[in-house]
Amino acid sequence: MNIYVCIKQVPDTETKIKINADKSGIDTAGIKWILSPYDEFAVEESLRLRDKNPGSSVTVISAGPARVVDTVRTALAMGADHGVHVEIPETADSHLAAKALAGALKKEPQVDIVFAGKEAIDDGAAQVGQLVAALMGIPAATVVMGIEYAAGSVKCRREVEGGAIENLTLPLPAMITAHKGLNEPRYASLPNIMKAKKKEVKSLSMADVGVSEGDRKLKLKNFELPPPKQAGRLIPGEPAQQAAELVRALHTEAKVV
Amino acid sequence: MTWQTFLLLGVAGAAFGLSGYRMITLFRLMRAHRGRDSRLSEISARLGTVLVNVIGQRTLFRKPMAGIMHAMIFWGFLIITVGTIEQLLSTLNASWSFEFIGHTPYSALVFVQDVFTLLVLCGVAYAAYRRFVVRPEYLGQSRDANLILLFTASLMVSIFLMNGFFILSRQPFFAESMPLSHALSRLLGLLGLSGDANEALGTLFKWVHMIIVLGFAVYIPGSKHLHVVAAGPNTFFRTLRREKGMKPIRFEDESVTQYGAAKITDLSWKDTLDYYSCTECGRCQELCPAWNTQKPLSPKNLISDLKHNLFNNKKSVLAGKHDDVGHVLDAHVTEDVIWACTSCRACEIACPVFIEHTDKIYEIRRNLVLMESRFPTEVQAVFKNMETNGTPWAFAAADRGAWAEGLNVPTLADSPDIDVLLWVGCAGSYDDRNKKVLRSFVSLLKKAGVRFSILGSEEQCTGDPARRIGNEYLFQSLAQPTIETLKRYSVKRIVTACPHCFNTLKNEYKDFGGSFEVFHHSQFIAKLLVEGRIKPAKSIEETITFHDSCYLGRWNNVYTEPRSILQALPSAKLVEMKNNHDKSFCCGAGGGRMWMEETQGKRINISRTEQALETRAGIVASSCPFCMTMVSDGVKAKEMQDKVKVMDIAELLDQATP
Repeated sequence: MNIYVCIKQVPDTETKIKINADKSGIDTAGIKWILSPYDEFAVEESLRLRDKNPGSSVTVISAGPARVVDTVRTALAMGADHGVHVEIPETADSHLAAKALAGALKKEPQVDIVFAGKEAIDDGAAQVGQLVAALMGIPAATVVMGIEYAAGSVKCRREVEGGAIENLTLPLPAMITAHKGLNEPRYASLPNIMKAKKKEVKSLSMADVGVSEGDRKLKLKNFELPPPKQAGRLIPGEPAQQAAELVRALHTEAKVV
Repeated sequence: MTWQTFLLLGVAGAAFGLSGYRMITLFRLMRAHRGRDSRLSEISARLGTVLVNVIGQRTLFRKPMAGIMHAMIFWGFLIITVGTIEQLLSTLNASWSFEFIGHTPYSALVFVQDVFTLLVLCGVAYAAYRRFVVRPEYLGQSRDANLILLFTASLMVSIFLMNGFFILSRQPFFAESMPLSHALSRLLGLLGLSGDANEALGTLFKWVHMIIVLGFAVYIPGSKHLHVVAAGPNTFFRTLRREKGMKPIRFEDESVTQYGAAKITDLSWKDTLDYYSCTECGRCQELCPAWNTQKPLSPKNLISDLKHNLFNNKKSVLAGKHDDVGHVLDAHVTEDVIWACTSCRACEIACPVFIEHTDKIYEIRRNLVLMESRFPTEVQAVFKNMETNGTPWAFAAADRGAWAEGLNVPTLADSPDIDVLLWVGCAGSYDDRNKKVLRSFVSLLKKAGVRFSILGSEEQCTGDPARRIGNEYLFQSLAQPTIETLKRYSVKRIVTACPHCFNTLKNEYKDFGGSFEVFHHSQFIAKLLVEGRIKPAKSIEETITFHDSCYLGRWNNVYTEPRSILQALPSAKLVEMKNNHDKSFCCGAGGGRMWMEETQGKRINISRTEQALETRAGIVASSCPFCMTMVSDGVKAKEMQDKVKVMDIAELLDQATP
């Protein structure tokens, strides 16, 4: 099988997000970049599928600025066989990214299945997986927590609103976006880290995959941080006084009652 | 030349031949190991340690009664062996007796032998009393041990009987020099046997003695009694100093494609000598926090199980067929055994023959982690946090200096002209309870007028947890940039309140080019006290018990300084727990256990907390952030937090210092 995984590089979960000077995005100085955690489930699933099907290979594809090559190598260290990097600007939106990824996938001789995370943890848009599927004209199952593989099809268990479970059967090729619980991603072993350093990461430009700045659908006005959380307030006094003050504060200050 | 000459030549030839063959096989098994270890530096110090600890039996006396017992048997055997050699030689040729040394020296020799024969018997009697009556749990039951005692006792009894009968038949000039044998001969004389009969019985018991000696020689290579051969060399090749770093892996050597020990032969010759030296005395097991809380790890069993793994793979090892050698993890050495170790090193320090248990566990962990990514699942997040944020906890690297806000503590970048760098460590930086310890320590440093800075966001984890868990690659990826940072600022002196950081900075970074003068805060504060730069004046009316941190005490031999700080507290009374100093009981956090679930047996921190509560002290003093966390949790679990406080030594002294 020719297995593909779309991955994204995101700021580490502990990053203290700052907005850059002209408010056009976040300040990337000092950020530690990681493989988006949902994409880790996707990579892990692809590796397990490959190992069950001898002769298969896993290719990871990422679209983004030059630094995302490091994250492609992270996936290679987990055990992926090939890496592709499509260079698109920092400011790309979900559509531009999806079109770049789909363009790269279309250049491959045969695509049997594509995995991605259900969303990236930076913008949380949860769009790219489905958009790639649409652009490629293949079906997609999103937020998938369990997969059964059959010849030419996959049965996916996905979580829908309210915690209900939906079971879908999709013909291959298909796009599957991974949710937590699909598997336990592995920790890269040292031999694989060493091997990953020597693996080639194919580099593609926007022109190579047929996308341009014009494919960006979203126009961003600016970025703002949410207002800082207020410290809690202790209301002193007797219970009756406290209750009265609480009601007053909720009514006149918080305006919720 | 008599019939005895020919019989002995035959029997002894066969026995020594068989014994020699078995010993050579053991030696070849040792040589077949692939792990490298060079231990030939400082020969004179090595000879010294053999003199003191083998001939002098010093390490044995840590258990006084068992030590005396062992020393009597050991010294007795040294003396009696002279007689045994004489016995064998004079059986081959009657003129080869040692009487040529002169009547008086020879009489003295047989006197000493006679006395020691009794002392060995007394030793064996006490050993039997321990094994069959006292039955300490750590000693266990062993058929091997029972046989050895039976052999040893039979040897002594046969010597006495031989001497007794020969005194009757030969009336030698030295008869009176053997008070015990002589007394026995008088008793035997009551049998009223003829001279020939007495001579025949003397000869019989001489042969009984020689046959047991030869039988023993054949038996020893397959027995735990092999320690009589191996423990001496093992003492010679011991790690000479208390402070030891883990063996670094040189990742830049591309010819190496496998790390750690997957097979018994991946360990070193010294590890093998360790197995051969173990006589299963159980002193390690007695103090092991894992074993004492019902974990599957016993350091004693680990060593004998590794030996058996080697013996089970003997054929493949000797044939050089490395691929056919089975995995070092087997039905006895399981993953649970390997992960149960807190690396507290109580086993190593207690071992009278200097077996190094932790080295083997580390090598096996390295293989599991680096080659197979096999480790308790909860550790993966810890590794990832260390990789991305330079701390085992999920906190941002940028927030590392946040604990010091408002304290006016400069960073090294702002204030490079300092007496000492304060290495804060992850616990001091991020853990709320331990942030308070750091604040107290900073307060003390200021009261003493010490000029210091911190690295702030340039500090990151030393890598100790990764290294102890087996992730040497991650450890080095943290150690190398840190050493570069410290060198860039030309840091000479470092003080830290964390024994794990202390141990790593002091003992492990030098293998990677980072040599610094490193102090634990207990050492640094103790010195400030001696110099009169800190003057505690406010009284603390409390009974305090001090919990020894393993990485401060056993790994670095720092015991007096933290206690000297507590003794300097006005009105405070210091009491010791039953387990203290080298016999202290781990809090359960070392060896990366801080970041693993503890699902088997009783929790180690609860056991230690119970020991602390037994003292009825109102304060448990700690000198390590992880001990602080573990013992505090233990006190809460015992619902004693209103009565017993867990405090760092720096907090107590700061409280007492105006």
